[in-house]
Amino acid sequence: MNRFQRLICLSSGLTATLLLPTVAHAALYISIVQGLGGMPQYEQEFTSSREKIEAASVTMTDKDKVFTFSGEQANRDALLKHFAELSKKMKADDRAAVYLVGHGSFDGETYKFNISGPDLTSADLKKVMDDLPGKNHFLLNTSSTSGAMLEAMVGKGEQAKSTKYVVISATRNGNERNATHFGGFFAEALTTKAADLNKNNSVSVQEAYDFASQRVESFFKDDGKLSTEHSQLRGDGAAQLNLSRLNALEIKTELADADTGLSELLKKRQELDAQIEDLQLKRSEMNTTDYLAKLQTLVLQSAELSEQIEAARGGAAATPAAPTRNPNSTPPPSPGAPGSRRDF
Amino acid sequence: MIFKPLFAKQRLVAASAASLLLTVNTLHAREQLYGALTDTALVACEQQQWAGKVPAAEACYRTLIGSNTATGMRAEALWALGDLQGANTTFQQAVNAEPMNAMLRVRWGELFMQTYQYGEASNLFNEALGIDAENPWAKFGLATALANGGGDPEEVNSLLAGVLEDDKAPAGVRYRGMLMAIHSALRKDLFEESAEAIAEARQLATLNKLSQLEIYALEAAQAFMTLQPYQSFVDKALAENPVYGDAWAIPGYYAMITRRYKESGEFYEKAVQLEPKHWAAHLELGQNYLRLNQVTKGVDHIRTSFNGDKFNPATINLMRMLDVFTNDMEVFNFPDPPQGPFPELIVRLNKSQSKVLKDYVQELTEASMKNYEERYRFKAKEPVVIEVYPNHEDFVVRTTGMPGVGLLGVTFGYLLAMDSPTAHPRGESYHWGTTLWHEMAHVYTVEASNHLVPRWYTEGIAVYEEWRTGPIPGRKIPLDVFGAIKEGKFLSIGKLDDGFMRPTYEGQVIVSYMQGGLVMDFIAEKFGFSKIVDMLYLFRDGVKLADAVPRTLNISVEKFDDQFKAFIERDYGKLLENLPKWQEQQRVAFESLQNEDWQGAVTAGKQAVALFPDYVEADSPYIALARAYSRLGDHDNEFKTLETFWQQGGYAPRALLALADEYTARNNSEQAFEVLKDVLWSDPFAQDLHNKLGDLFMTHNQADKALREYQVLLALDPQDKADANLKIAKAYQALNNKAKAMEYLLITLDIAPQFREAQALLLELSRSGATTTN
Repeated sequence: MNRFQRLICLSSGLTATLLLPTVAHAALYISIVQGLGGMPQYEQEFTSSREKIEAASVTMTDKDKVFTFSGEQANRDALLKHFAELSKKMKADDRAAVYLVGHGSFDGETYKFNISGPDLTSADLKKVMDDLPGKNHFLLNTSSTSGAMLEAMVGKGEQAKSTKYVVISATRNGNERNATHFGGFFAEALTTKAADLNKNNSVSVQEAYDFASQRVESFFKDDGKLSTEHSQLRGDGAAQLNLSRLNALEIKTELADADTGLSELLKKRQELDAQIEDLQLKRSEMNTTDYLAKLQTLVLQSAELSEQIEAARGGAAATPAAPTRNPNSTPPPSPGAPGSRRDF
Repeated sequence: MIFKPLFAKQRLVAASAASLLLTVNTLHAREQLYGALTDTALVACEQQQWAGKVPAAEACYRTLIGSNTATGMRAEALWALGDLQGANTTFQQAVNAEPMNAMLRVRWGELFMQTYQYGEASNLFNEALGIDAENPWAKFGLATALANGGGDPEEVNSLLAGVLEDDKAPAGVRYRGMLMAIHSALRKDLFEESAEAIAEARQLATLNKLSQLEIYALEAAQAFMTLQPYQSFVDKALAENPVYGDAWAIPGYYAMITRRYKESGEFYEKAVQLEPKHWAAHLELGQNYLRLNQVTKGVDHIRTSFNGDKFNPATINLMRMLDVFTNDMEVFNFPDPPQGPFPELIVRLNKSQSKVLKDYVQELTEASMKNYEERYRFKAKEPVVIEVYPNHEDFVVRTTGMPGVGLLGVTFGYLLAMDSPTAHPRGESYHWGTTLWHEMAHVYTVEASNHLVPRWYTEGIAVYEEWRTGPIPGRKIPLDVFGAIKEGKFLSIGKLDDGFMRPTYEGQVIVSYMQGGLVMDFIAEKFGFSKIVDMLYLFRDGVKLADAVPRTLNISVEKFDDQFKAFIERDYGKLLENLPKWQEQQRVAFESLQNEDWQGAVTAGKQAVALFPDYVEADSPYIALARAYSRLGDHDNEFKTLETFWQQGGYAPRALLALADEYTARNNSEQAFEVLKDVLWSDPFAQDLHNKLGDLFMTHNQADKALREYQVLLALDPQDKADANLKIAKAYQALNNKAKAMEYLLITLDIAPQFREAQALLLELSRSGATTTN
């Protein structure tokens, strides 16, 4: 990831005004579509996933840029109209994230995402994504058979690299027809520190995908069952596209600090973090000893700055507490609620 | 060979064991004619061949290859000279020329038998019977093809009986039938029957001037098995044919199946010295060397066998397995370096799993050695060798030569091989710790008795030790076995070996394992544990069960059986009555869970648990009950249920991990430790387990143990590598190894430079003067 990419990935919502003035005007638009559940169990699951995605989304962008469609509102006309308006509204630097949470079907030729009234087809979805201005957009489809949509949109295999967006499907192809578990785990990833593998307090598309894929694999493996779903990710830059900030509170503090004279320290730390990323990109050009020595120096400087920032804040600990029994995970479902909870 | 009982899904089908034995081909590749063909020129060559005059015989066979010889005879000559492809083509020509000649098809079928193509052989024997419905050679051939190809035993017996009872059948074919029957009796330890059959066969052979080479070898085998002198029989065979490898190979085979591997190896070694082209003997010898952990010699002989006979599927499977064995496995010695000439324990693990399993295998094996040394008054005289296979089929091929057999662990004297936890899908009830514990019991009982312990006795002890001293306490009896108990299917201990070696119904082997365990439980309770050991040593001294029981327990076998029956009635009489009710409540409990009727699950689950509190398998009502409590938010009862489940010997990893969390939340870290350690013996590949255990060790200032758990966690390739590396760094820091702490910390920060917790540690280490190790 180069510095420019990194700036893009952080260029939204709360962080933008303070940290990245040069791209302050880039915006993130998030559209969440909850399809028909068909049965109470699925209705409940989809609602739970949609709520988690909404909660994560508002850590990334302004509330008025998060659009949710469910029930009767989630119909083809309304959705196509929304996306058409969005395409007009968005600038080249802006990004869009589209979540489709629900069931899907595939008749051997056409994939359909099941909503109220006529369904959204893979052709509809391709057009929606293709019409968005700029690049680095994201589409998640959690439905069964969603692999068929993937193939229709971006082709099979290497062709996908030419797309201007990252797309994820819950299944490998249109033949995986069982209701999926991937979506629930993906939504969970957006709200749990366990998914934040590089500990930057953000969950990227790649991290959420890895988290959910691994959970799906364990889900089937632990029960000694053959997996009926194999999620797919196509497109470049999934590691650079963030979907959730886990430390929204800390960011608020940083925003407050902007008026207290700490902005200089915060900016320095940000610059150091960028230098670390540059160093990591050059790793293959260096020997390990030099690389580690430089990494140590830079991280140490960053750590010292963090310490100064904390001290200036009066010792308020922004550093996460030591791991406990998953303090950041969402509360377990209430008795009887389905979801991603695993029985022993 | 020792079959491992554990849980229903993995238990072997008894039929597998029977067919397995039949596939072991130790006999000479090309059998004697015994009058099947009477061509004078061919018979003259055969006589030289079986008198051990090999060069003369070969010259003789070569004279038959000329164009003046009948095609069928040419095929025989090519076959005898080892040109199997040429023989096959020539038999084809012969059959084309004489389509109604049944004996040509019989002989062609015999050729296919030699190349292990039992299906093709069966077809040819059937074709021969189509031409000549009463052809006894074809009937016999079909019987052997079906026996080796896993055919219906009743059909095999019917065909053999047809041959043996047919007075009009040629003496040679009846003789072959008798030889087969003798083998069968010896495999079953039916020595009186085998002795009678040998006498009868000898009489037939003498009357009809048939070669008695194999009879001598069988007599030698019987003498060896009954602890009698056997050399004179071998000498008789060798007097008739000085290069008759089977004189030793046949006793070698019977030494092998009675677990006397050292003698078996010696016999096979002599067999291949006499007859270097005895490829089957090379194979058995190679496998035997592997059992004795003499890998290089083992590999050499298996390769020799493969080079000589590329048709044998067992050799082909072994060759494939040897690639795994030599390339993918690594060896660990304990102690390292050894304190004497040899290590006490040698562990052979797949390289991909060694970082996870090594310490746990060592820990459990050493604990078992200590346990068995004390209890069985026997100290291992050689290093114990443990092999753990991630792939079940590799393990089975390594132990039996053929895949598809339902084993979990096999012990060969001081060497045992077993499945790794990953050889079975998660969710199945494979408990590797119990398997290891079971097999280790065999190491001690078999070696302490000088390999003379009856099969049921060593299995009984191994099961008993699982229950009484193993990693999960308590009797674990599969539900099917209760059905057998109810139907009165337990055998007299005098006949209990039959349950293992001659099962008469599906599942009898498992029933026999359980009966063996219960018999030991009964002896320990009624007469004292030491009597079990006393009897073991009587077996070592050659005392038979009928004498050993009164000498140690002061009762006859019959009285023992009566008292054992009363013991079973006492322990299980009520349960057997209630079993249908229990099964119904168990079903209702899980169905209620499925239907989200949590209260219904609680009611049924409680009733089921009350009826059969010892049942702690994966489908235990405890699990249903705890889940239901959990869904009702009744965490106290959920906790109590899981705790009872664990205390009763429940081992389901997810349930135990949940219980450990509960103990931790209740500040009972001592119990949390115990629970988590128990999970190690069932699912050491659970990442969560090592995370939790490591954290617990850290909070209890046992950084060395925490470090081990975190290193295993890292070896399991967790998603969150930054966190795993940071934990290792912290453990090293706690152990005052700042250089290693910095090493792992930099790995952490390379993955996650903004990881504040890691940054904080970096500051701390830097200020204390730690430097990078690279």
